[in-house]
Amino acid sequence: MNNHNPVIRFVLVTFFLYLSASLLSYYIKTSWRPFNNIELLSECLKKDSAQVAVKAPEKAEEKPVVIEKMASKNFNLYLSAKTITDFNADSAHPSMPALMQKLHQLKTTKKGKVRIAYFGDSMIEGDLLTQTIRKLLQGEFGGSGVGFVPVASPVAKFRQTISTGVSEGWQDISFKTPGKPNLYISGHAFYGGASDYVSITDKSVKDSTTLIEKSILFGRCDSTTTINANNHITDIKGPAIFNRQVLSNDASHSLRISGLDNKLPVYGLSFESENGVIVDNFSFRGITGIELNKLDSNMLSAIAQNNHYDLIVFQYGVNMLFRPDDMNFNWYNRAFSPVVKKFKACFPDAEILMVSTADRAFRYEGQLESAHGIDSLVKVQASIAYGTKSSFYNQFATMGGRQSIVNWADSTPSLANKDYVHPNFRGAALLGQYFYEAMMKEYHQYTRTLR
Amino acid sequence: MPIFNTEGFFHQFLYDEKNPLLFNNGFFVFFFTAFLCLYYIFRNKIAVRRYIFCFFSLYFFYKASGAFVGLVIISAIVDFVLSNAIFSTAHQLKKRLLLIVSVMFNLGMLFYFKYTNFFISLSNELFHAGFHPLNILLPVGISFYTFENLSYTIDVYRGELEPARKFSDYLLFLSFFPKLVMGPIVRAHDFVPQINKPYQISDNDFAKGFYLIVSGLFKKLIISDYLTLNYVNYIFDDPARYTGMENLFAVYGYAAVIYCDFSGYSDVAIGIARWLGFTIPTNFLSPYQSSSITEFWRRWHISLSSWLKDYLYIPLGGNRKGSWVTLFFTALFFTSCYFIFSSLLGFAVWLSAVLCLALLVIFILPSVIKRSKGGLSTNFNLMTTMFLGGLWHGASLNFIFWGSLHGVGLGIHKLWMIITGGEDSGVKRSRLYKMLAGIITFHFVCFCWIFFKASDFNTAAAMIHQIGFDWDWKVWSAFFGNYHNIVYMILLVMVMHLIPDNTIDKILLRFKRIPLLVYVLLFFGFVLTYGYFKSAEQVLPIYLQF
Repeated sequence: MNNHNPVIRFVLVTFFLYLSASLLSYYIKTSWRPFNNIELLSECLKKDSAQVAVKAPEKAEEKPVVIEKMASKNFNLYLSAKTITDFNADSAHPSMPALMQKLHQLKTTKKGKVRIAYFGDSMIEGDLLTQTIRKLLQGEFGGSGVGFVPVASPVAKFRQTISTGVSEGWQDISFKTPGKPNLYISGHAFYGGASDYVSITDKSVKDSTTLIEKSILFGRCDSTTTINANNHITDIKGPAIFNRQVLSNDASHSLRISGLDNKLPVYGLSFESENGVIVDNFSFRGITGIELNKLDSNMLSAIAQNNHYDLIVFQYGVNMLFRPDDMNFNWYNRAFSPVVKKFKACFPDAEILMVSTADRAFRYEGQLESAHGIDSLVKVQASIAYGTKSSFYNQFATMGGRQSIVNWADSTPSLANKDYVHPNFRGAALLGQYFYEAMMKEYHQYTRTLR
Repeated sequence: MPIFNTEGFFHQFLYDEKNPLLFNNGFFVFFFTAFLCLYYIFRNKIAVRRYIFCFFSLYFFYKASGAFVGLVIISAIVDFVLSNAIFSTAHQLKKRLLLIVSVMFNLGMLFYFKYTNFFISLSNELFHAGFHPLNILLPVGISFYTFENLSYTIDVYRGELEPARKFSDYLLFLSFFPKLVMGPIVRAHDFVPQINKPYQISDNDFAKGFYLIVSGLFKKLIISDYLTLNYVNYIFDDPARYTGMENLFAVYGYAAVIYCDFSGYSDVAIGIARWLGFTIPTNFLSPYQSSSITEFWRRWHISLSSWLKDYLYIPLGGNRKGSWVTLFFTALFFTSCYFIFSSLLGFAVWLSAVLCLALLVIFILPSVIKRSKGGLSTNFNLMTTMFLGGLWHGASLNFIFWGSLHGVGLGIHKLWMIITGGEDSGVKRSRLYKMLAGIITFHFVCFCWIFFKASDFNTAAAMIHQIGFDWDWKVWSAFFGNYHNIVYMILLVMVMHLIPDNTIDKILLRFKRIPLLVYVLLFFGFVLTYGYFKSAEQVLPIYLQF
């Protein structure tokens, strides 16, 4: 019988070599990453702790963020999940009292408008998160309308709260355009010609009898120009750096404008009821928020006058976590605090709320883990709120802290995308719900102080 | 000194839900070496050798899916007993009854584990029934060994096969560990006679097995895993966030992934089997080379398509006649088509009806042209086969839709052949025609993959929309800058398809004896490449804006 068997020979030789190499890797100091991943003994052997070279983290936190101690404040409140805090140590004191007072007034008199500007990156793109907050707040305090809608956006087609049609000819000037263009707070300005049009239907309003005021938001235009709004020729006057003109106020929830002048900077349209809560979504993918510093103070002040806001929310952070090993984000305090201060100065009546980054994961040695630097980024974001006397909401802790994005993406049905960055529409709805509940907690705290 | 982790050591031998056994686990190296040594030592004691093989196969199953190993044993017992009873009964009616029991048992098991929740959610959606989904886990490999059981008892019933005499023969046929998780679907008449043959391996067996194992692992562990984790999953999860170009590459990428995943696993299984003295027929033959959809199904997952042909298409009536099953599924097909046109795509009633009618014409026309009644049932039987074949791949409407699309594709190709006069007529022999037909076929297959991979119709629709309407060439430089590795890998898979099928055999013939050292070096070269890709820096998604 032929005993020649190349299989057994190969398997034994390879096994012996593979096992020896694996064993050897436990005795030599240097380690080689590709081999560490495939050695055979990782489940049975542990390296002697003395043997593991103590390796300093490659990029240690340069210095902890300096938190100025204040008697009535407790910085560590930033760690609480599902809570909006202004760091007030007195737990009976509501955060954002001015806003709560306005909401309470709205609730009791059913008159007036409370307007919220919600700034963010791709996390709120397509009206994710904000559509839930808007729906819940309008359900509680009244109001309808989707608020601000830009002329064009990369995900407009998939935004559930509007349907849109837009011509190809619009020129879009944005944060990404070189130079210092004069932009709206959305980060865009659009220029359309005589043949261009944009047509938007607000689908967030379910009751067809609801009256919706439809306005155009636009920049300076020296001479009076005309546009065609829902088939009516309308004069547009733009003397100020920012202008808001009501085009119609009726039960129609659509607005189509056309026949534009390419010197007129169009910022967008707005759909709002006369009274109630209005939530404007200002999403711009890929940014960290420091781009907002490019905005002209005069523009901001003009907006505060013509288009007031009672609450300004900044939700950024995930775009700073683009390298898995980054640990130090102190620079963000230096870069973003001026933005908050600028908005505070230009919108003196508005509360400012910083929302932290949500969880994001990277693959470290083949294992998905929350970004190693995420805790320090959240802390830096909280320090900005603390330093500028704004309020803070910990989105990261609200999601469930470390590993939450991995659990969200892997759950059935999933709550997040497999990029381990973006909560999907289910996850975003959940985050919107938590945010609303956190606001209501402060609201009830406020109404308790009235008794 | 390293410290020995006693608990970790013993834990290795138990099933771990988070880390089920696959060919790429470190544990498999020990498992396989231990198995091979025992198998080799007892190679001449056929019975002992067989028991060792059964034990290791069932243990592999246990390490891969825990207690579900019990299902394999139970179904082996049931089918072994029933098939012997069918064989020894002369009475035709009794034979038939026993066969029905066997089919009901096997399909019942498959239905319970795989399709219960699908039908619950379907009835909830259609009739607002409000059933709660059950907490049922899908046992690993059940789709494969159920089909193997079925073909076995049906063959015995048809008198084409003498049942295995020893239970361990049958158990090994069913649980043979290399093919357990993802096939190929093996036929008993091919496999069982090989179990008790002398164990002899030629240099060529070894070389071919080595090539299949290493190239299979390369396809599955390196290409497929890398593309999935670093690109395809990002896009398919939320296509609306990405540009048309990124979406298009995700579809190409997935075409590469599904091929590498499926064929890679099959190749490893066939290669390991070869090393153990078993010949299992090829399962994939460069399917994206096909110049028609009919050819595609001759090259893609051959063990499945031939199974479907023998045990579904032919019993339905094949190209001779139809049956009430054909009628039922044809009616279901056209109803669903109408529903898709009118409800999902929002077409007007008349347009939906016209489109359904057009489909019907495609299916009927061949038999009208050929003036044969049998031809009429060919297409409807084919449609039914593809419809159910789609459902076999997974319990969701998407898979049914995917299968039906292929069914329509096959119908159209049949019609085209009839109109243009056969496969080898005139222009069809030209290179240009073949190339063009190949490109069209590949893109049709890719189009169908969108529905196969996307989690639901909306996601698939969003993807198609992005590819169709969100296109800008300017994206290319940013896209390529970030994803060049992905593009190269997709290209590699496509180039692999251009290499003729018998190239490797030719190479192996030329180098008759390759020294052991070369194999060892090649193997470690692969292992380290795998290690490198496992620890490679993640390619992060970019969100382009234009």
